[in-house]
Amino acid sequence: MQDTAIHRRRHRRHRLRLRQDASLPERILMSLLLAFVTLLSLVPVIWVTISSFKTNLEIMDSAVSLPSRITFDGYVAAFRIAPILTFFVNSVVVTSVSTVLNILLVGMAAYVLAMFAFRGKNLVLVLLSTSLLLPMTALIQPVYIIVQRIGLYNSLPGLILVYSSLGLPTTLFIMRGYFLSLPRSLLEAANIDGAGFLRSFLLIMLPSARPGLATAAVLQFLMAWNEFLYALVLTNAIRSRTLPIALNYFKSQFSFNYSAMFASIVVVIIPSILVFVLLQKQVISGLTSGAVKG
Amino acid sequence: MFLAPTLVLFLLIYAVPILTVGVTSFFDYSYATLTFSGLDNYRSLVSGTLTGREFVKAVGNTLIWIGLQITVHVALGVLVALGLSRKPFGWKTVRTAYMLPNIVSLAALGIIYLNLFDSRRGLVNGVIRALGNKDFSVNWYVEHAFLTTTLTWTLFAGLVTILILADIASIPEDIYESARIDGASGWKIDWYFTLPLVRNTIGTSVILAATSMLKEFELIYMTTNGGPGIATLNLPLLIYKKALIEQNYGLANAMGVVTIAIGVLLIVLVNRHLLSSRFEST
Repeated sequence: MQDTAIHRRRHRRHRLRLRQDASLPERILMSLLLAFVTLLSLVPVIWVTISSFKTNLEIMDSAVSLPSRITFDGYVAAFRIAPILTFFVNSVVVTSVSTVLNILLVGMAAYVLAMFAFRGKNLVLVLLSTSLLLPMTALIQPVYIIVQRIGLYNSLPGLILVYSSLGLPTTLFIMRGYFLSLPRSLLEAANIDGAGFLRSFLLIMLPSARPGLATAAVLQFLMAWNEFLYALVLTNAIRSRTLPIALNYFKSQFSFNYSAMFASIVVVIIPSILVFVLLQKQVISGLTSGAVKG
Repeated sequence: MFLAPTLVLFLLIYAVPILTVGVTSFFDYSYATLTFSGLDNYRSLVSGTLTGREFVKAVGNTLIWIGLQITVHVALGVLVALGLSRKPFGWKTVRTAYMLPNIVSLAALGIIYLNLFDSRRGLVNGVIRALGNKDFSVNWYVEHAFLTTTLTWTLFAGLVTILILADIASIPEDIYESARIDGASGWKIDWYFTLPLVRNTIGTSVILAATSMLKEFELIYMTTNGGPGIATLNLPLLIYKKALIEQNYGLANAMGVVTIAIGVLLIVLVNRHLLSSRFEST
């Protein structure tokens, strides 16, 4: 054991040196590139955040100035003039409910498709896999009509239904992959203990798959929180619209209240950034497993 | 039993819609009217009418953007991943930062860029003015609409970087041992050893980058909305306009069929040329 550990460590040190063998100009060019993409990604977010604390006049006056004093007027205005609070609550409800539903329902399917053999299983898998590759932008009209027909147009349940399905392929692949990696003895032990199908799923398999669950949930959360096109298509009233749609209003209504606009942008992007930074491990493992399996 | 809810979701949101799109693309279909019209919808897509011109432009733009995604975008993501794989100082921060534009709301990003490139209060012009060109006032989203919209996604390849980086981390170390024996160093190791080994993930990235252009909506809708004129129109935006604004469902669905066909074609092509059997068997 110890021997291999030492061996491995030596190897790692070796590799590190190898990878840094690059010549000086090569390293300088690479550093410049990395600095460039970092700035490119961070500057817009930082600029918007700083601007959200500026007054309207300061925003109009100069793009590169700092706020003379920190003012929350933009945020107050965003919540007062715009129905940002309603949108925010809607977003929280739609995102959380659709995440729970998606994970639970698709998790069940993933479990069956991973652990059991039955007739037609491959057909089901192939069919479900196609949904991963479909450009959903091509399906807006029928989905719009279907949601309307079942009476869920312009309602939060309508969005919840669609978002639970939009995350179907990703969750299925992540969860199925995770269930496949669990030892089969776990299931057999549950069966010997006399646990029924539902019990062994809820009490033994699902908790064992927690890391996979978390990964799928984080991706589903980000998707639902950020989703825009279907929210735009499936709602048309304030009471059922979500935060990203609120931004749509700024193109017209707020044309003159820029600090409110910047404040609203911050309100929309901060939860995603927080979730990503805090749960980065889950996001990355989800993206890599989902993509490679896809 | 356990499968039932997922199958219902699948039928409702994927299977029935895709069949509807296929079938009704042969119909003259609006609010309540539904009459068979054969290939009329498809014919008008390539006719000289406004619809035809819009469609040809949308397909052309979509294809140009796909081309840029699978070349510039993927190459940039791979290059950054190679840089980060050497674990320079702060590499984790760079990885996180570069990923941010890929995880925040695209609608929000659209509004951010709209402001960033604003001729008066935008940061881009603000910086150029601060650097001395005092009267600089370019309206980016009007005067250089195509270039500006293109930049808002082509340069942000954080997802590609993350995928490639994860794959590089799984390369067995002995490989680099033999690379050293061969006397390779720096970029030569990357070019002759690392890149061939992450070939499958590059293929996956190419598929993701290409199909992302069949989904791109917010960054155009929030900024140029396809304009000026039809300069920045793409397929998703045109489908949205035909279906939801003009209520021409049959026509929108004919465009949907073309979009799906392009997607299938891309996946088949990439599978054939870039991926080995390992990918197909998983």
